[in-house]
Amino acid sequence: MTAALAVRAVTDFWPDRATALADLPELAELSEDRRQTCLGLGIDRVRADPRYDAVELAASAAGKLLAETGATPGALLVIGSRAPERLMSSEATRLQALLGLTDALTFSVGGLGCVSLTPALLTARGLLAADPGLEQVLVVHGSKPPTPRRYRHPVTVSGDGGQAVLLSRTGPVRVLDVVQATNGHYWDLYTVDFRDRAPEDWSEECADLRRYSFQLALEGRTRLREMYRELLDRNGMTAADVTCHVSQNLSAGAFRFTEEALGVRLSPVCARNLASYGHLGPNDVLLNLYTAIAEGDLPAGSRAVVFNASPVAAWSLLLVEHGGGEAETHYL
Amino acid sequence: MRNGLPADEVRGQLLEFVTSLVDAEPDPDEDYFERGLVNSLAALELVTFVEHRFGITVRAEDLDLDNFRTVNRLTGFVLVKTAG
Repeated sequence: MTAALAVRAVTDFWPDRATALADLPELAELSEDRRQTCLGLGIDRVRADPRYDAVELAASAAGKLLAETGATPGALLVIGSRAPERLMSSEATRLQALLGLTDALTFSVGGLGCVSLTPALLTARGLLAADPGLEQVLVVHGSKPPTPRRYRHPVTVSGDGGQAVLLSRTGPVRVLDVVQATNGHYWDLYTVDFRDRAPEDWSEECADLRRYSFQLALEGRTRLREMYRELLDRNGMTAADVTCHVSQNLSAGAFRFTEEALGVRLSPVCARNLASYGHLGPNDVLLNLYTAIAEGDLPAGSRAVVFNASPVAAWSLLLVEHGGGEAETHYL
Repeated sequence: MRNGLPADEVRGQLLEFVTSLVDAEPDPDEDYFERGLVNSLAALELVTFVEHRFGITVRAEDLDLDNFRTVNRLTGFVLVKTAG
């Protein structure tokens, strides 16, 4: 039997400053076809605030969560940023200091891009199972694109935002099951060459767009279908037992891809959050799940499947159950 | 529809679909992936069309871009799969 894991609270933090997609500076340097692809993603605006780095975004979300819940987590798991401000130093212990979590077991997890939430959940589940004295685990991430260019052709536009997730053995949203798969052959499909380059010249480059649009996409179709079937089978469920499906926020086309590949309908909150915030890396899926709960898409006692994928390549599905009550508290 | 499909009929159906998919009529030997006309969603729709129209299953080992990147290559792939 899977060890118990539940989400007690999720807090998102948005910096004040936003940029309309049409005002993105990099649009001027794109070819016309790339510009049209970018403008057709289904994103209206993103938060873009140079006053915050990734750690400060994460700390702002976590500070709100701790203040509003009064929690004193015994462990702090930091999903590392894609481009740390400094080499050698520790984002995890910087956050520990910023949050005053002096006694919290603190370290970083990640390495799977947007899917990095899943290793954080798996680690939290393992810690809670291994240590009866540990009651709460705090997972935090600050979403900040790794380069000055927010557009990743032809995938998405990244926005700024922080998220904090309080986990325990019990809580209003139970994580019933987790599946994750990776294929290391795609480890460098997207890269940012930064050595010997000025930061203003950094950009997210795809090594082979045909490989991204064909092999990886269709492997994703196969993987997600198999993982979805496995997840339902081993929990004695059929697709009809799933009340709500949510995914990460990349583009309107990516939503359609997931829906057509799996024969499911994603909650409309996904498209709305995509339009308002763009892509927030590992923060997308719980933002969508908690928005869906707040809007009544996942009534108490019902179950949702959460999809996540990354070009590194990694795929993940979560099966969650809304127990009602406190889960409707989504601190924004 | 599994055996004895005429190549011209398969090619014609594929050309018609690809033309609608990429909003341009490609030459049968033109690589529409190379031209950047096919994104992930279009690739999914192409594979789904081939599966449904010709009653075949595209397996993981079939997902070689060489099978799909031109109308003529895709025609050859469909003929091999439907002859099996």
